[in-house]
Amino acid sequence: MRFVLTALVFVALVVAVPGIATAQDDAVVPLDALLAQPETYSGRTITIEGELVGDYGFRSDGTMWTQLNDDSYARDALVDGGPRTGGNTGVGVRMPDALAEGLDGPGGYRLEGPLVRATGIWKYHDPDRGGESYLDISSLDVVEVGRQLEEGPDWIVLAAGIVVLAFSLGLWLAGRREV
Amino acid sequence: MLIKPIGEDFRIIGYYLGRIFLVVAAASLLPMAWAVAGREWHPFASFVLMAGLFALLGVLGLRARPETDRLEWGHGMVVVALTWVIVPVIGAVPFALSGHWANPLDAVFDALSGLSTTGLALVQDLDHLAPSLNFWRHLLHFLGGQGIIVAALSLFARGGGITLYHGEARDDRILPSVTSTARFIWAVAAVHLIVGVAALGLVANLVLGFTPIRSLFHGLMIFFAGFDTGGFAPQSTSLGYYHSAIFEGATAVLMVAGAMSFGLHFALWRGPRRAIFANLETKTILGTFGFTMILTLVGLAVGGLYTSVVGLSRQGFFQVLSAHTGTGFATIPSAELAGWGGLAFGGMAIAMALGGMGSSTAGGVKALRVGITVKAITNQVKAVLLPEAAVVGTSYYQSGRRNLTTELAQSAMTVSLLYVALFFLGAGVGIAYGVPLQEALFESVSAGASVGLSVGVTDAAMPVLLKMTYMFQMWAGRLEFVAIFALLGFLYAWVRGK
Repeated sequence: MRFVLTALVFVALVVAVPGIATAQDDAVVPLDALLAQPETYSGRTITIEGELVGDYGFRSDGTMWTQLNDDSYARDALVDGGPRTGGNTGVGVRMPDALAEGLDGPGGYRLEGPLVRATGIWKYHDPDRGGESYLDISSLDVVEVGRQLEEGPDWIVLAAGIVVLAFSLGLWLAGRREV
Repeated sequence: MLIKPIGEDFRIIGYYLGRIFLVVAAASLLPMAWAVAGREWHPFASFVLMAGLFALLGVLGLRARPETDRLEWGHGMVVVALTWVIVPVIGAVPFALSGHWANPLDAVFDALSGLSTTGLALVQDLDHLAPSLNFWRHLLHFLGGQGIIVAALSLFARGGGITLYHGEARDDRILPSVTSTARFIWAVAAVHLIVGVAALGLVANLVLGFTPIRSLFHGLMIFFAGFDTGGFAPQSTSLGYYHSAIFEGATAVLMVAGAMSFGLHFALWRGPRRAIFANLETKTILGTFGFTMILTLVGLAVGGLYTSVVGLSRQGFFQVLSAHTGTGFATIPSAELAGWGGLAFGGMAIAMALGGMGSSTAGGVKALRVGITVKAITNQVKAVLLPEAAVVGTSYYQSGRRNLTTELAQSAMTVSLLYVALFFLGAGVGIAYGVPLQEALFESVSAGASVGLSVGVTDAAMPVLLKMTYMFQMWAGRLEFVAIFALLGFLYAWVRGK
């Protein structure tokens, strides 16, 4: 009997855990899926996850606009040796100023922006904003804080450049003397 | 009989190429300085190498020392065609070394796209690219749009300047000498640079809420790409990044200014302004813009893509303006643009193919050629329909009354047909690789007409042959074929001539 019960519990777990996992995965909409069928999500409250990049634009109406990228670079920067996986995948996001307080700076060169989970209404072709599409965020959780990345000079390239420049200058001076 | 080029021909070509490379070497000091200011040492090293290579080629060219510095027509055309091959190759060095491009071919693709003011891009993870590299991408637009040759001409202009000037697809000699015309073109650019960057920077700072330095950065980048009808943008979501009708409006003004011929700029500066609207070119571009706009808006309305008139008008207007001026900025993702079927697709494709005005930074067939072709066909139809004794007018107004000769009409129609052939070439290669017809045609027209709007075909993962086809289209489309044919003829004469 115990064996049967254990087996049933095991089977139930095997069946249920992926279900639970799926339900959690479903909660976060990948941007690829959102951009492939943006109209499907129009007016719905959705959650997306990714890195905030570019600028934080604090506007006079009390909102902050930025871009949220959900691509491999959001977690694995090129500068850090991450793989090249094509172009960026991002959408515009708007949030009340208060939500943006305390956020690390947005991602950019040598900067990994904060990785956030943002929930809000997907405004597709918003008639109030001249047909723009963006996520109107109502709640924001920081999954990972932003961080500084390092990229030093390539000494070999620099040396090669200086040699070529010096050689060109020498050649030019020699040419002037010949004339 | 074909005459085989002799040593002197090569020396003349090498000498002029050398002068131009030195100008580009000087220009590459700007991104180098930017990298120093931003402490971006990795890109800095690659800019030093690039400047060194341009300087080396320049000095080697000067050492060619021809007996005469007078350029003949053929020499000038070959110089221009080669300039537009070699500059992107060397100019791609910082891109190739940055790690943001998959391979050297992709880096050259983007450098050529920048120089030809196309705007198609294979860069990966643009949103983390070093600002100095972003600046170099956009500066390539400026150099290509204003014309490297024009830059060289305004600095040195002994012998043969006119040949180089025409080789870079410019027809208007606004002032008596080519040098003064070249300087006028740079003066126009300088005034627009100051006003444009100030306007965009102020909007970015005061309306969008960006920091002052970032506002200046965005203003400068969007100015280069907008005024030179290029289409690169500092962020991956193009103009859609800004989410601002005011910013789009300011950019639209620059796009229109970029698509205007420098002759028209001159008329606006010095007058008489009333004559501007009598010009065949102005009337044609207003007509084609109106036509393609209506086509696109009706297509979008029928497709039900937008629920509000304001949304439909704003998005439709900006995309069509971007297509017609050959800029290539987009406020919507490429996946969404790919969904613009039917009339909207037709309107966009026609707008891209027709392009801006002649002697401007825009690409495409150009308004004057379209106007002349339409007028010539209309005259033919009139001649058939009217009684034999009737006299059909054969002149048109373009900064004065001009004769519409058979040669002129033939020339306009030939170049127009060459563009159509160029568009079909790219579309054919795309279709051969399994790209759907509509998307293959859209992307091909975008590349051949130096526009840069994309429906997603242009991607780092696309086949090498397709990349090379688009590169050929960008090169041939920007130079309007003549310089390319001259280069091919020169190479043929070198091999087969006597």
